[in-house]
Amino acid sequence: MSEIDFTNPKWYTNRELSWILFDHRVLDEARDKNIPLFERLKFLSITASNLDEFFMVRVASLKDMVNAGYDKADIAGMTPSQQLEALDGAIHELVNLQYSTYNRSLLPLLEQSGLHVIRKHEDLSPQEEVYIDRYFEDNVYPVLTPMAVDSSRPFPLIRNKSLNIGALIQKKGAGGELEFATVQVPSVLSRIVPLPGQEGEDLRKVILLEEVIERNIQKLFLNYRVVCAHPFRIMRNADLTIEEDEAADLLKEIEKQLKRRQWGEVIRLEVESGIDKRLLKMIKKELRMESRGLYEIEGPLDLTFLMKMYGMEGFDHLKAQGYEPQPVPRLPAGCDIFEEIRRGDILLHHPYQSFTPVVDFIRQAARDPQVLAIKQTLYRVSGHSPIISALAQAAENGKQVSVLVELKARFDEENNIVWAKMLEKAGCHVIYGLVGLKTHSKITLVVRREEDGIRRYVHLGTGNYNDATAKLYTDVGLFTCREVMGEDATAVFNMLSGYSEPRFWNRLSLAPLWLKDKFLYLIAREKKYALEGRQAHIIAKMNSLCDRDVIAALYEASAAGVQIQLIVRGICCLRTGIPGVSENITVRSIVGNFLEHARIFYFQNDEEPEIYCGSADWMPRNLERRVEILFPVEEPTLKEELRRILDWQLADTVKAQVLKPDGSYERVDRRGKEKFNSQEAFCREAVRLAGEARGDDAVKSRVFIPERHLE
Amino acid sequence: MKTFAAIVVGSFEITMKIFEFSGRNARREIDSVRQRLDLGSDTYVKGKIGNDKMDDLCRTLKEFTRIMKTYGVSEYRAYGTSSFREIPNTRIVLDQIKQRTGISLEVLSNSEQRFLDYKSVAFKGEMFREVITEGTAIVEIGGGSLQISLFDNDTLVSTQQLRLGVLRLQELLHRLNARTGQGESLIEEIASAQLATFKKLYLKDRSIRTVIVVDEYFSVWVARRAGKKQEKALVSAEECRQFLQMLRESSYGEISRLLDVPEEAVGLTFISTCLVNRILRLMEAERVWVPGVTLCDGIAYEYAEKNRLLSTDHDFEKDIVACARNISKRYMGSRKRGETLENITMTLFDSMKKIHGLGRRERLYLRIAALLHDCGKYISMVNIGESSYQIIMATEIIGLSHMEREIVAQVVRFNHSPFVYYDRMKEEGTALDGDAYLTVAKLTALLRVANALDRSHKQKLKGVKAALKEDQLVLTVETQEDITLERGIFDERADFFQEVFSIRPVIRQKKPM
Repeated sequence: MSEIDFTNPKWYTNRELSWILFDHRVLDEARDKNIPLFERLKFLSITASNLDEFFMVRVASLKDMVNAGYDKADIAGMTPSQQLEALDGAIHELVNLQYSTYNRSLLPLLEQSGLHVIRKHEDLSPQEEVYIDRYFEDNVYPVLTPMAVDSSRPFPLIRNKSLNIGALIQKKGAGGELEFATVQVPSVLSRIVPLPGQEGEDLRKVILLEEVIERNIQKLFLNYRVVCAHPFRIMRNADLTIEEDEAADLLKEIEKQLKRRQWGEVIRLEVESGIDKRLLKMIKKELRMESRGLYEIEGPLDLTFLMKMYGMEGFDHLKAQGYEPQPVPRLPAGCDIFEEIRRGDILLHHPYQSFTPVVDFIRQAARDPQVLAIKQTLYRVSGHSPIISALAQAAENGKQVSVLVELKARFDEENNIVWAKMLEKAGCHVIYGLVGLKTHSKITLVVRREEDGIRRYVHLGTGNYNDATAKLYTDVGLFTCREVMGEDATAVFNMLSGYSEPRFWNRLSLAPLWLKDKFLYLIAREKKYALEGRQAHIIAKMNSLCDRDVIAALYEASAAGVQIQLIVRGICCLRTGIPGVSENITVRSIVGNFLEHARIFYFQNDEEPEIYCGSADWMPRNLERRVEILFPVEEPTLKEELRRILDWQLADTVKAQVLKPDGSYERVDRRGKEKFNSQEAFCREAVRLAGEARGDDAVKSRVFIPERHLE
Repeated sequence: MKTFAAIVVGSFEITMKIFEFSGRNARREIDSVRQRLDLGSDTYVKGKIGNDKMDDLCRTLKEFTRIMKTYGVSEYRAYGTSSFREIPNTRIVLDQIKQRTGISLEVLSNSEQRFLDYKSVAFKGEMFREVITEGTAIVEIGGGSLQISLFDNDTLVSTQQLRLGVLRLQELLHRLNARTGQGESLIEEIASAQLATFKKLYLKDRSIRTVIVVDEYFSVWVARRAGKKQEKALVSAEECRQFLQMLRESSYGEISRLLDVPEEAVGLTFISTCLVNRILRLMEAERVWVPGVTLCDGIAYEYAEKNRLLSTDHDFEKDIVACARNISKRYMGSRKRGETLENITMTLFDSMKKIHGLGRRERLYLRIAALLHDCGKYISMVNIGESSYQIIMATEIIGLSHMEREIVAQVVRFNHSPFVYYDRMKEEGTALDGDAYLTVAKLTALLRVANALDRSHKQKLKGVKAALKEDQLVLTVETQEDITLERGIFDERADFFQEVFSIRPVIRQKKPM
């Protein structure tokens, strides 16, 4: 066994290609006939916005590597240029599938369901044409800024991710030279333009804004003849590389970088298929595009408008029933949260359970005269965040409030700068992240002076302190006031403030200092038990798995006989079913209505199972370049609850896809198994528990939750 | 319920610990922060604290005040250590710190610092009491120096400073351009010379069973092993040897991971471990106890002691007196005579309480002065006063601050030499302030009279009784012997006494039946 090199690249999957498979799994939801039509629109929209981000971050950074002449092979033995090559094919395939889903499945179904999307302005009826032209003149024309290019006017800045219409124009009368002109489809207007309904007709009709503009484009260039006009869209390199050591003021540096982002290198160009060849050539030349990043699209560019379509009034019967997060039985509205925490640790499972107690925790702390201090890390917060206002309130009430606002949270930098400034104004002590590290951990500490001394209340979570995403992301959180956790939480904040590490940690493990070693240790311990002939079992749920050391350790453990069940929503560089390497490992991915986001790790540890939760995935960036916290859950009933979360996800037969030895994902083979959708089961369970807590027996008796054991 | 903050500005680190006292003997550490700041190199090299360092220091102290608010801290004590002792403009610096941060920083002398360290060890209670019943040495390894204190029958008897700090050694190794493998033998060589002298002069044939180690680096290893289990903080000499062996054989990276310390601390851990092993061999000690305390714990102990927040189970005054006795012994002082004088001075002191208005601490100075009253004769029979003064000023008496030591030294000096008045004394460059000067005068008056009562050094006077009668202090001595000599000198001594207290001491002889 010792001769096996568990880091052999042939046993690993490239992370970018694995990500593409993840987007395919999301796309599978859009293609799933069992899902309400409008939900399918939403999933399709998500695949598109996912892909946008993927381009801006991952493809961009590969490009950077190629440009910089960096050609070190990745975990799977692929150089950056090989990866780009492979991605090009994979992304084209993905995009083709997106549009065939849109064109062949969704549009006809929408039509059947009473929503007609007019694909081309040429298809408008005469009355509709009148209406649309009127709409253009009243609403659209005033906000358009057409720009022409000639020898005296340089090529304009095309904004990142914006939708534009490019045109070739020719001066009237003079004939001859074709000139390039462009106009941005204004993002302030809705992309979906509804048409007035016909009398006595149920069918609703809509047309996309770019079609409206295209139809009227002549009005923008009055002295010219418009030869052709087609939409196009670009994507730029947005990966921020900040020289922190050189930047005296991080805040200013990020503000500066944000302005620069608009000017990044173009890495993707989407155009309508059938675009005039002369026009395409001109755009490509001006943007200095190679042909690899070119996507000729069979349909509307930028499918994210489907999210807006999802939000259209009516069609409720074509949407999934909304789910209202349930109250946490231990924390009914209006209770004294501190008192409840003193009674024992409390576990929260979002979004099945409400995030309100977490907000209330800070609100109560802000008002409580016994509270001396509040400390919190903030990574991504919602707009109008109630947490931010509670923190500001606390500072105004004279509490010591320290907040670490991570300025480097990708795409949220601008937002975070605003909050940071506001908190400072209110009198909070704001720390702007750490040099060279992103603070990804989610932890809150409340220090309270009580009769018998200082007591510390801690909230630890797997998700951000964001009340909006807490309704969509599945996460777990823990409230505790155990002394050992309080001491560790204090130490965490001391470290985040720049003080030296404590001599000991009681319970918490931190990245980038100790976390990876901790995981490797836990995995090796299972391996040891397996070699001793005892039962050894790991269940780990996370978003991504791509750390070579961890994967190699898992392979080793598997080879030693440890049963390993992984629930990995997104990227997974580990391969299953390799003889002698990963035969004992299974990987499943759950993509459902809620975004799976919790990280839960179960280690059998012979007879004394340990369960940890945390903010970190098994990715090098989490384990090495971010501040992350892993915390154990020790209360036996809460451990059971977490174990049940894992077990139900392992029993899921509806939303789970299983990783096959050939690297593809397939839906669970349901033969002989009941349909079991874990997310729905958690919803029902949360409703039942909340009902029980209210003393609502009827609910209890009507909803049955089948107990399941592992596959 | 009281929350208290102890702050230490060390040469290489600023630390603060927050404690909560919730009743007698109920103490809890609720926070501990450490910030690396290398003040030491500045003060050692330039003799001043640079502006940048000063800014960093003030910023950190200011942040500390914020942390104190986090816990509603009601009182704090902040001390500076060697870097502040070594700069000439201490007062200016302290004032600036006060202005910029609001924190009043005081400077600890080495012996005060050691005493607090020692108290912090004693703070560990049970384990401490158990360990010191047998031969024990406390070894404190600092950045610049190494302090060894010895115990005899559960009392601390002597303490010595050796210039063998880890940073000093590391710097030396750098300067010598030592190769990696060479380090250990060089440390061995440097340390051995000094330690051999120490053994010859102080350790002699004392048998040491346990070495208590207080340091920042070696301790980490023991602390990691022990976690929160106190009993595991006892390590055998053999285990220490194995640990050193392990350090020799591993790379810095491996050690850093194993101990969870930054790589730059690994070298210092190695030096510290070499020193511990060297000392263990020198003392032939069986085991090491690492209580894992810092100066902050000692400060908290002192605070708790003063505020009666704990019941003391170790008599620290006894340690100080024992140290003084030991110093006297080294300079061939007669034990009997010392004790007689000690008894007489204490009687005088107590009977004059209403007049002199001095307290318990001053009583201790007098006691030490009595014990050391003629140590200078070891050097010169003629110049006893000046020689004694020099000896006391050059000897560390644990638990006494620099100023306190000078009080004792001056009292002993004026016991023999003519009294020097304040203005002259200031010209001599004394560190004493007006109050301390008055204490010196009062204690001198008392010691002189007491000394006169035992002039012949024969302890003729068995018992002395003192009684205040209006403007007289009547000293009744019970003896059969002729006290002409005592009487003769007494009058001359009594003048100064009267000058200081406006009270005339008189002798009455009472011959026992």
